[in-house]
Amino acid sequence: MIKCPSCGKSHPENTLFCDECGAYLLVEGRKRTDPLGIEDVAWMEADFGVITPLESAATKPLTIRVSILDSGRQIELPLDKEISIGRLDAATATFPDVDLIADGGMEKGVSRRHAKITRKGSELFLEDLDSVNGTFLNGKRLTPYLPHALKDEDEIRLGKLVMRIYLR
Amino acid sequence: MDVHRDYYAELGLGSSATLPEIKSAYRILARRFHPDVSSTPDAEERFHRIQEAYEVLSDPERRRAYDLWREKEGLTEPSVLVVKHTLSHETLPQLSEDQILYLLLEIYPRADLEIKRLPINLCLVLDRSTSMQGVRLQRVKDATNFIIDFLDQADVFSLVTFSDRAEIVIPAQSNINKAFAKSRVSTVRSSGGTEILQGMLAGLGEIDRWRAQDMVNHLILLTDGQTYGDEEQCIEEAKSASLRKIGISTMGIGKDWNDKLLDEISRQSGGMSMYIDSAAKVTKFFRDCIHSLSAVVARDLNLTLRLANNVRLQEAFRASPYLERIDVGQGPIFLGQLGTDQPCMLLLTLLIGPQNVGKVSIAQVELSADVPSMRRAGDRVKVAIEIQVATDVGVVRPVPSNIVSILSKVSIFKMQEKTMDELEQGEVERASQRLETMATRLLNLGENELAKAALLEAGRIARTGHLSPEGRKKIRYGTRSLATLPKEIGYD
Repeated sequence: MIKCPSCGKSHPENTLFCDECGAYLLVEGRKRTDPLGIEDVAWMEADFGVITPLESAATKPLTIRVSILDSGRQIELPLDKEISIGRLDAATATFPDVDLIADGGMEKGVSRRHAKITRKGSELFLEDLDSVNGTFLNGKRLTPYLPHALKDEDEIRLGKLVMRIYLR
Repeated sequence: MDVHRDYYAELGLGSSATLPEIKSAYRILARRFHPDVSSTPDAEERFHRIQEAYEVLSDPERRRAYDLWREKEGLTEPSVLVVKHTLSHETLPQLSEDQILYLLLEIYPRADLEIKRLPINLCLVLDRSTSMQGVRLQRVKDATNFIIDFLDQADVFSLVTFSDRAEIVIPAQSNINKAFAKSRVSTVRSSGGTEILQGMLAGLGEIDRWRAQDMVNHLILLTDGQTYGDEEQCIEEAKSASLRKIGISTMGIGKDWNDKLLDEISRQSGGMSMYIDSAAKVTKFFRDCIHSLSAVVARDLNLTLRLANNVRLQEAFRASPYLERIDVGQGPIFLGQLGTDQPCMLLLTLLIGPQNVGKVSIAQVELSADVPSMRRAGDRVKVAIEIQVATDVGVVRPVPSNIVSILSKVSIFKMQEKTMDELEQGEVERASQRLETMATRLLNLGENELAKAALLEAGRIARTGHLSPEGRKKIRYGTRSLATLPKEIGYD
């Protein structure tokens, strides 16, 4: 028997979520992302010139395809809301839209909340969320919390994990 | 016996067909091709082939020999269904008490399968009651025209509208004249009440006229209001439609329709039920629906679970295409259709009693489905689920992230279910608190919209003791679509 730490309900051994309050029951295993010591970085120049036209009915691109080069995995996501990229960790309730655990994200220095993709009108932006090992766009490191415009076939690197995006 | 001939295919069956299936297939075919009755030119030859196939397959001894031969020659046709299973744990500790084990099943059609799309036999049953007036009806008409444009010559289409009674606007026909059909659509006017049963009966009648084994027979029911007094009969009709291999998808617009009824209708027939919060989205829902219908490869998907001693099934959820609790009664679990567009994912929570150390068999999963395009009924695949039990588990592998991710959503879904139950039983305070906790979990998932709706409704419950009809639907259908996962393209 295990007891839920937040509401006290008992569950059989190995239960993962409390069905009374929804709390995650496996408290151990809160893993930290190790800094990989990535040096010699070229920083992306801040791009303040982007002024997005306020197209209210902008619908394109509709989807983004993320191709993870190391594992060969491809994911297609609708662009109707913000896309979070990182590493799933239920202990801290981090459930990113693109979870990179299966692609070796842990070893390659991907943070739990690493980066996000947002859209304004018909333009897409990539933003680093102050990750430990940084977010790189076409080889240049992004300043944390400063969104940068994305275009088709851009290469994104999170820590040491490389992926390419395709817009449709 | 000729091993190079596929006796199973000659009877229209898969290699896993049971004896009763073989007998019944033989009887039907023999009657059809009997030289005395049939006018088909090669009837006599067909009849002899069927005869021979039956003689071999109906004799267990000869069938076994035939199967073995074919396997050796590499001639056996593998099942169309592929099942991938993932367990939450690789090794379980030996315990004197019960413990939980999660089993994730992903069911999809074989990737190398080249099947052309099945013709669709579709009937749209649209509510034209007074409340549909204006933008709503206009958007529904636009969406209907979209479907008319999508269909090919081989597809069958019909359109039924209903208010207090039903009218057949476009009778079921193949190779529809698109311009004519659209002009008929434009004549639909709104007036009157909402009697769903009338619409359903007329719609099912239209589908029945063209209903065929190798078609996707489907009815889409769209309404924005409550029906009174005919709920029971609607559900009965849905059950009987399911037996005739007709699926029903239901869509509710706005806030005044009966979500329980529409859910039940679609659940009984293996279809989907959807909540459309704004008329502008009708086309999107129609498009999704017709796309998933055109991707159907297998029908009548059923899962049979045989549990080992001391293993119980605590609960089961469908995790894709949307979240849904599955009734775990006796007998096989009905899962509806399987398409190439999305896998069918199931998450089973198993309660494992004390076990002996070593490799332990936990369950046998058997799936069966009809694959109409290959004329195969009762295509089957079996998977044995085993796990290692040890006194010392050693290094624990983390629970696979896809299981954790699905469970996190299932846990929210269950909180939603409990809230609704508590409200029905008048436990207002608990329901309100639970919704608040649920909002926090939703925020953690990044589901801000839904979290906001849950918080708002939590406040409303505390003040009035009720959910708003709109909030109720937002929360019910919102938690259900939590599981919509990003589409993976190719597996490795």
